[in-house]
Amino acid sequence: MNKKFMLAFLLLTIPQLAAADSQWILEESTLTYHVSHPLKQTEGVSHAAKGKGACHAGQCDFLIAVPVKSFDSGDSNRDLHMLQVVRGGQFPLIAVRTHLPEDASSLTTILADLEIQFAGQTMQYKQIAFQHVTKGSDTLITGTIPLTLSDFKIDPPTLLALPVKNDIPVRVEMKWRPM
Amino acid sequence: MNQRAEKSGVALSVLIFLFVISIPLRAQDSNSSLSGVITSAAGAVVPNAKVAVKNLASGQLTETQTDSGGHYRVSNLMPGEYELSVSAEGYSTNTAKVTVAAGTGQTTDVTLAGVLSLQDLGISPDQAQGTAADQARLNKRSHMLMLHQRLGLIAAVPLIATVATSFGAGGRSTSTADRWTHLALGSAAGDLYFMSAYFAIRAPRIPGTPSRGQIRVHKALAWIHGPGMILTPILGAIAFDQKSKGEKVHGIASAHGAVAIVTAAAYGASIVSVSFKF
Repeated sequence: MNKKFMLAFLLLTIPQLAAADSQWILEESTLTYHVSHPLKQTEGVSHAAKGKGACHAGQCDFLIAVPVKSFDSGDSNRDLHMLQVVRGGQFPLIAVRTHLPEDASSLTTILADLEIQFAGQTMQYKQIAFQHVTKGSDTLITGTIPLTLSDFKIDPPTLLALPVKNDIPVRVEMKWRPM
Repeated sequence: MNQRAEKSGVALSVLIFLFVISIPLRAQDSNSSLSGVITSAAGAVVPNAKVAVKNLASGQLTETQTDSGGHYRVSNLMPGEYELSVSAEGYSTNTAKVTVAAGTGQTTDVTLAGVLSLQDLGISPDQAQGTAADQARLNKRSHMLMLHQRLGLIAAVPLIATVATSFGAGGRSTSTADRWTHLALGSAAGDLYFMSAYFAIRAPRIPGTPSRGQIRVHKALAWIHGPGMILTPILGAIAFDQKSKGEKVHGIASAHGAVAIVTAAAYGASIVSVSFKF
């Protein structure tokens, strides 16, 4: 009788345990954008991203936000010009949302559909590949998001009458840990 | 008896007739439907989402659920204004007003936002939203610095020419034309220089953004070529006057050449400091 009771108890609770809510927090991040111009290449780096993930019933929602003015290219004049070009005075944040199945944490390569809000525009990027490595309790995610200026209706800045390239790939390195 | 039966039969026929013709009318009133797909902000379909459709005039509520493909369909709706409310676990509820026309199948897709918000990340609404005034300030700054850059590059042309013509204007040379050419080019360079400097000085500052990188070198060099562009023409005027009187340039005026060369060199370095990465 006790065995039957225990078995019934386990059968009822295991699914509940498996579907228990969990949360993730972004511990560290490095976001690097790359701008190409015929005369020079420029990169800007930010370590100021904040992020959280909320998992429920086997599905996880992630939200990452980074201030536009946190990107440092090594020259404050260039950074302020970048801020002006991407309408950072009016839209100071870049927000990225994605929805992943919870079992994606078992995959080496995660394909994510991203919704990116930037410069007052919202764009969907489908099937962006991220590499996933687990180190202890930390989850390392790396990848490159293929942003373009035209996607966000940003006029390409020019140097000596030559415009920069439309492609602005953003390399992402993130360390997540469960809360 | 027969008359009574006959009358009853007629009444019954009328009733049946009225009933039959009323069926298509009722069908016409309520054969509208509302359907669509529920997706998340990331584009994934949302199965088992609760869809509630409420007639705003009558208050009548109809509920359904999305299928595995995120599709929902609510049939037999009367035409009118409805409130469509969609909720699902892990998402914030989304509500929309929909107008359903008679005899139509309306499609309304709904996107559900994740439960996470910027406030969950510790980002306040003030931090999340800038202002048009801030953007206007950035725009003005960029525009003025662009003018500063262009005028500064243009000024380099007469400045180089001024230095080149200095050899014919000073020293043992007695040529009046060379001196006037040197003076004119120097004046043009000076005018363009101060116009360029105006836009740099008056460009709006952005609070909370200290100078970093090679721009600091560019700004520091201005402390050399700025005073130099004031002192050089003053000394040059004295030297010009002495030469015009047939005298040899002497006294403080003899420093005109050296001050001019240092000024021009600092100006050139200033342009290089923002053109190349070191």
